[in-house]
Amino acid sequence: MERWLALSAILIPWLGAVIVWWAGDERPDAVHTIAAAIAMTAGAASLLLIPRVGDEVVFALDAGVFFGTFTFLLDGMGVFLAAVACVIGALAVIFSVDYMRGEHQLSRYYALILLFIGAMVGLSLTGSMLLLFFFWEITAFCSYALISFYNDDPKAVAGGLKALIMTQFGGIGLLIGALVVHRVVGSFQIAAFLGGAGSIAPDVLAMMAFGFLFAAAAKSAQVPFHTWLPGAMEAPTPISALIHAATMVNAGVYLLGRFYPAFEAVPGWKTAVVLVGVISASLAALMALVSNDLKRVLAYSTISQLGYMVYAVGVGSVFASQFHLLSHAVFKALLFLGAGAVIHIVGTRDMREMGGLSGKMPFIRNTFIIGSLALAGIPFLNGFWSKELILEAGLEGGAMWAYAIMLIGAGFTALYTFRMVWMVFYGECQTEKHVHDAPMFMGIALLVLALGTMTTWLLAGPFGDMLASSLPFHIMHIETTWNLVKTILSANATWLAMMVIAVGIACWLGRERLVPVVRACGFLKKAAEADFGFEALNRSVVGAVRWTADTLSVLQSGMLSWNVLGIVGGLILTLFILAWGV
Amino acid sequence: MVVTFLMIGVVLAAFFAILAKRLLASTIWLAVLSALSAALFYVLGAPHVAVIELSVGAGLVTVLFVFAIAVSGGEDAGGPAPIPTVVAIVFGLGMMALLAWFILPIEAPEVIGEQMSFTQMLWEGRALDVMVQLAIIFSGVVSVLGLLGENVDAMPFARRKEGDA
Amino acid sequence: MSLDMLDLVALAVIGVFGAGIYGLLAVRNLFKMIVVLQILVKAALLALVTAGNRSGELVLAQSLALTVIVVDTVVAVVALALAVQVKHRTGSLDIQDLTRLKG
Repeated sequence: MERWLALSAILIPWLGAVIVWWAGDERPDAVHTIAAAIAMTAGAASLLLIPRVGDEVVFALDAGVFFGTFTFLLDGMGVFLAAVACVIGALAVIFSVDYMRGEHQLSRYYALILLFIGAMVGLSLTGSMLLLFFFWEITAFCSYALISFYNDDPKAVAGGLKALIMTQFGGIGLLIGALVVHRVVGSFQIAAFLGGAGSIAPDVLAMMAFGFLFAAAAKSAQVPFHTWLPGAMEAPTPISALIHAATMVNAGVYLLGRFYPAFEAVPGWKTAVVLVGVISASLAALMALVSNDLKRVLAYSTISQLGYMVYAVGVGSVFASQFHLLSHAVFKALLFLGAGAVIHIVGTRDMREMGGLSGKMPFIRNTFIIGSLALAGIPFLNGFWSKELILEAGLEGGAMWAYAIMLIGAGFTALYTFRMVWMVFYGECQTEKHVHDAPMFMGIALLVLALGTMTTWLLAGPFGDMLASSLPFHIMHIETTWNLVKTILSANATWLAMMVIAVGIACWLGRERLVPVVRACGFLKKAAEADFGFEALNRSVVGAVRWTADTLSVLQSGMLSWNVLGIVGGLILTLFILAWGV
Repeated sequence: MVVTFLMIGVVLAAFFAILAKRLLASTIWLAVLSALSAALFYVLGAPHVAVIELSVGAGLVTVLFVFAIAVSGGEDAGGPAPIPTVVAIVFGLGMMALLAWFILPIEAPEVIGEQMSFTQMLWEGRALDVMVQLAIIFSGVVSVLGLLGENVDAMPFARRKEGDA
Repeated sequence: MSLDMLDLVALAVIGVFGAGIYGLLAVRNLFKMIVVLQILVKAALLALVTAGNRSGELVLAQSLALTVIVVDTVVAVVALALAVQVKHRTGSLDIQDLTRLKG
């Protein structure tokens, strides 16, 4: 039974992708319905997997000596990420029914979303590192194709290409790591690697650890690879919610969490992880504070929160990072979908042209505020519990300077969140357009996510249980939900964080009085607007890749014979080297 | 001996297939090549593959080729190639020399494993292969239907976009 | 099955493969190119069965050869469909005229 559930969670979306593509563009209503139905079925299948978590392999296919065995396991971390991907995927598809009404080429859109959902489930459930890489690359392709969905808009195409090139650099790190594992341990299985990590030579292990960190940082848009995520905001907003907030960017954190037992002993690795997390969290928070584009603020906020999750892994608490991953997926998807609803209705992404919308779209305002409170870490929403857990873990397990910076970062998070909410919903109304509240399907998606934001923290105990019982190599300290609540409420760290957040909110409310301070930090503002120089760096990397491609295109004469000559020449050369080596 | 005859026949058929001036002649030589290699398979002790190769290679593929050539108007296949012939011959001989160095003399350890029957091996030992074959056949059918469909436009999406814009 | 006979067959494989490589480079018509692809695959099949004969694993070799034949046939079918469409749209099957992928 488990085997078929696991396989169907991957294959149903993929089958749906083929069906939707076949339905074509002539029948948009059929396409909407089929896509929503398939997405919801996949969501149900993934939720049915949760009670069946265990640590044995549920499906194994022997693919010969070179590819190892293709295995799928149902352990806690994998099933959790798969369920997040499917459920939020289903909600994003439902949202798209209203958002993409009247758009062209819907079959391509939905087919790519369903392909992505299936690949994400495959990524989380697989136990073979080769298959992990395979699914990783499929998600990268879907992300690129969906960012460039409006392919007649040069900004969208450029954003998609930038995302693709940068995440592919990371993918190289993953592939090299997988191949090195196979060489040293003899198998592609993750369990074999985690069990045998003690016997690998330290420098090889160090190379793999940093290679994986590289791949995870590129995928999760951490510094210095973070500039692709703001550029990916050209995608339709449900895509931003699904891929760039709730699922694909979490794959990097998932990678770090899964391989943590093997790498924690590598000297300097944990410090590097903490450093990456801290820098990303703080720089991104500053960049969110100065941005005027609603989706960009959310993108920087995503980078910042992912920095918190990476930091949690670095200080040793994989549970805290996964718990924050759950909370963040829910509230960030809520924020993105809410922002999408606002953008769809008002017609612009610039927050300076919004304002005063509170009275005209009460439903969106309410759900958006719930999400924002969760992001800022206000008590009793899921963001509060998970962020406090991370900060506590940081206090116990990590360096003091890192903890201090993350604490201040929490204050900045509250600051930019309140700024965002105020600029969109309160103040003077800057737009002339006729605005209305959310249409039905958008409203359904927003409502479900808002309810989730208010309740997912209750799952902390069972979630911890599920993780601890099914991951044989991870050492976790888990408690019941009630114990967790008591611990967090009574910890000093919590009250410290509350004070910092209150300071953050006070800064926003008293912003007129802080104007001289803001002016003094003007240089910081300019630096933040310029992405602290990383944008220029990454633009030059992407530019170099494209220049190389353009120059080499001279070799593409279009003539079959010359291409074949090249192929045959290469073949002879390779065979010659092989024969000589043997 | 039979094997020598078959061997020479196979090599000659390959060369004539390439050097033939007319497309139909080329196809007939391909059929001859298929038939001779099927015989060679049988002599080497692989009767199942011999039968399949004979019916598919000398039968199905030849008929397909003739049909395709007829549909598109058979014509002469002559003319000098864009690449100088000398280069092609050098590459061909180079590859042959490399292969000879690589695989001659044929040595392999005698593997005495459990002797399954052909069907048993196919369905149990190579089950993954069979599944992949099915997938490939399915995608081949879909591709051909798409390629030879009635209302196939060169770039349907572009046309639709232009039509709407 | 003496050693000499297998070496003869190996020579045949080499000969056919060399003819195929020459054909890849020297052929000008698209249909003939597809013929050349078929020739290359026949050479590979011969090599497979020869190896099977020598090592005694004929059953495994035949299963693999069956897979190769199926895949090769599907490739030939799709390639022929493509070639027919190329002729239909551009009116020419000459490789020199089909350079739209330039640059």
